[in-house]
Amino acid sequence: MLRAVTVLLLAVPSIALAQDSVKKELVLSLSYYMNNNRVVYIIANTKTKIDKKFQPVAGLPVNIYLDADSSGNLVEKLITDNNGLAKAVLPPALKAIWDATSKHTFLGKTEATKVYESTTAEASISKSRIVIDTTSDGETKTVSVKVKAFNGTDWVGVPDVEMKLGVSRISGSILSAGEGATYTTDSLGEVTAEFKIIALPGDEKGNIVLVAKVEENEQLGNLTIEKTVPWGIAEKADPGFFDQRTLWSTRFRTPLWLLFMAYSIVIGVWGTIIYLVFQIIKIKKLGTSSAS
Amino acid sequence: MKNPIALTNEEIISDLLPQKFGRRGMIWTGTLLFIALVGLYAYYRQLRYGLVVTHMRDYASWGIYISNFVFFVAISLVGSLITAIFRLANVKWATPLTRIAEIIAVSAIVFASIIIIVDMGRPERFTNLFTHGRIQSPIMWDVIVISTYFCISLLLLYMPLLPDLKIMLRFKETSTKALQKLYKFQGSFWKGTAEQFKVSEKSITILCIAIIPVAFSIHTVTSWLFATTYRPGWDSTNFGAYFISGAFLVGSGGVVVAMYMFRKFYHLEKYITEIHFEKMGRIVVLLCLLYLYFNINEYMVPAFKMKKAEGAHLHELFAGDFAIMFWFAIITGLIIPILVLLFKKGRRPLPMFIIGIMVVVGAWFKRYLIVTPTLLNPFLPMQEVPASYHVYFPSWEEWAIAIGTLAGALLVITFFARIYPIIPIQETITEQHELEEK
Repeated sequence: MLRAVTVLLLAVPSIALAQDSVKKELVLSLSYYMNNNRVVYIIANTKTKIDKKFQPVAGLPVNIYLDADSSGNLVEKLITDNNGLAKAVLPPALKAIWDATSKHTFLGKTEATKVYESTTAEASISKSRIVIDTTSDGETKTVSVKVKAFNGTDWVGVPDVEMKLGVSRISGSILSAGEGATYTTDSLGEVTAEFKIIALPGDEKGNIVLVAKVEENEQLGNLTIEKTVPWGIAEKADPGFFDQRTLWSTRFRTPLWLLFMAYSIVIGVWGTIIYLVFQIIKIKKLGTSSAS
Repeated sequence: MKNPIALTNEEIISDLLPQKFGRRGMIWTGTLLFIALVGLYAYYRQLRYGLVVTHMRDYASWGIYISNFVFFVAISLVGSLITAIFRLANVKWATPLTRIAEIIAVSAIVFASIIIIVDMGRPERFTNLFTHGRIQSPIMWDVIVISTYFCISLLLLYMPLLPDLKIMLRFKETSTKALQKLYKFQGSFWKGTAEQFKVSEKSITILCIAIIPVAFSIHTVTSWLFATTYRPGWDSTNFGAYFISGAFLVGSGGVVVAMYMFRKFYHLEKYITEIHFEKMGRIVVLLCLLYLYFNINEYMVPAFKMKKAEGAHLHELFAGDFAIMFWFAIITGLIIPILVLLFKKGRRPLPMFIIGIMVVVGAWFKRYLIVTPTLLNPFLPMQEVPASYHVYFPSWEEWAIAIGTLAGALLVITFFARIYPIIPIQETITEQHELEEK
């Protein structure tokens, strides 16, 4: 019995040390983004499991390569932020490699650290374009979007690509152009939607921003295209708007009628309360004088 | 049941002087203190870790705290009904109930203020209301009107207490030295002269007149916190009257419960008689019918039109996630009380006590139903929020704080009854003399 306890006591620290030396598993993923057919960038996302939940890994070095893991193909050396994310923009130096083929693979690589094992990740994409066009005959407004991929010689339409299509909101979300939440390209890689949103406030010229967004597509990655159109209602700012005395103005522009009413009531009621406090003082004086 | 006419002054004084806690009183107070302390610990956790310990999120940004606040404000209105309205209407039978009603009003309004500060998350920012507050905001009106109502209620509690303080100073053997010091500080100047009575009576009449519009304002303004917000279930012109009728009902229910408890445990059967229960029963049934009328208005008109968002909100209440709570509140807090109290046997003390509890409990859940389901069904749903934001069930910290404040309010009433006479002694004696003269 004593021997068993001794063996157990000796074994516990070594088991604990063995557990400490086990490195945590790191999950690395890459996402490809292209905005308005120009800016190409990669976002690296790092996560690890802590208390059965995935948590972002901050401050982790990640190297991003284009097609091959060599110094000549290095896109950027990154450090993840507090959300475990890091962004690498495709540099002009890699233009020749980028133009050489129609399909590319981005490689992500983290070196082993004291806490994490080394990890790699890939994101393969086809070079693509997204084009937005609009037509309007006064009453009916139509938005059409074409998604094309490069096959080595020509740009061809990509069918069955799901996308969001509508008006860009300040929050970044999209107000759908029609009744459906998403649209899918036909066999020619095209989507056509009637723009059914009426009386939408625009800027001073009535401009609104149409946006088509392909998200997390296996072949194309994340694509966004925007177009500004004068389909909204022109909202001209009233320079005197904030000078008005209204219920929604600041505290310094309270309507006079409200000030009058509020202060009349407050003065009336608190005047009565103060009067009653004086009555208590009077009762006190009456008591003192009767006692003397 | 003994008629108070048959009692001597000494008997009345002996019966009504504050009594020390017995064994049951100690257990009651200890339990309340324990609940309040658990609430205080939960509040410490909220201060330490932030409002994230609650389950309030972007959708249900007003939860159990605001429901509790509306409940407290509602129950406080009874002070104006029993003390002021009955006094001005010369309703003599209500005299033994005035102080009970007034201490319920004061304790409720104190905890209404506390719970709203708890809901703020950062209590030190309360002063921002005064340094940056806008008089255009109903929240500012609520702050002003609650503080005003508290002051008037306190005066209305204090002024009729002055003659009783003199009596308590006379009977030193029935209280401790510390209490004698307190009585002396508060009322040693009261000599009971005709002039003092004249000034006091005039002041109490002014207070009774002043408290009625302030009481109506306090709950109307609280209803406007909701009605001035464009949301399904709140977008109503009916809200002021709907809230006030509900407030008088829950307040009266609270007074009935307190009447029964004080009568039973302080042996006040000679002063709070079956006639008081009979009359309060009639008032409660009238208020139930009135509140039912406003409920029908509040639900039937939008249900007839069934606008999309209002329809979703009503479906949630009538047959959705909140249906059990909704029908519990309506049946327990309104339908059963009406059915029971319409009959004379239902207006006896014990059935009245049970009905009083049902009214108060039903009213609490009704406030929860006014606040939460509406917030979960906005006209313009938020985008891309976690699924958990679409439901709300309070965390243990929220329950502990809310129940802790309820225990706190009961503690204030309990300690008040330990220190001061819960039935006005001098007024009871005076009324007895008047009856004898007649």
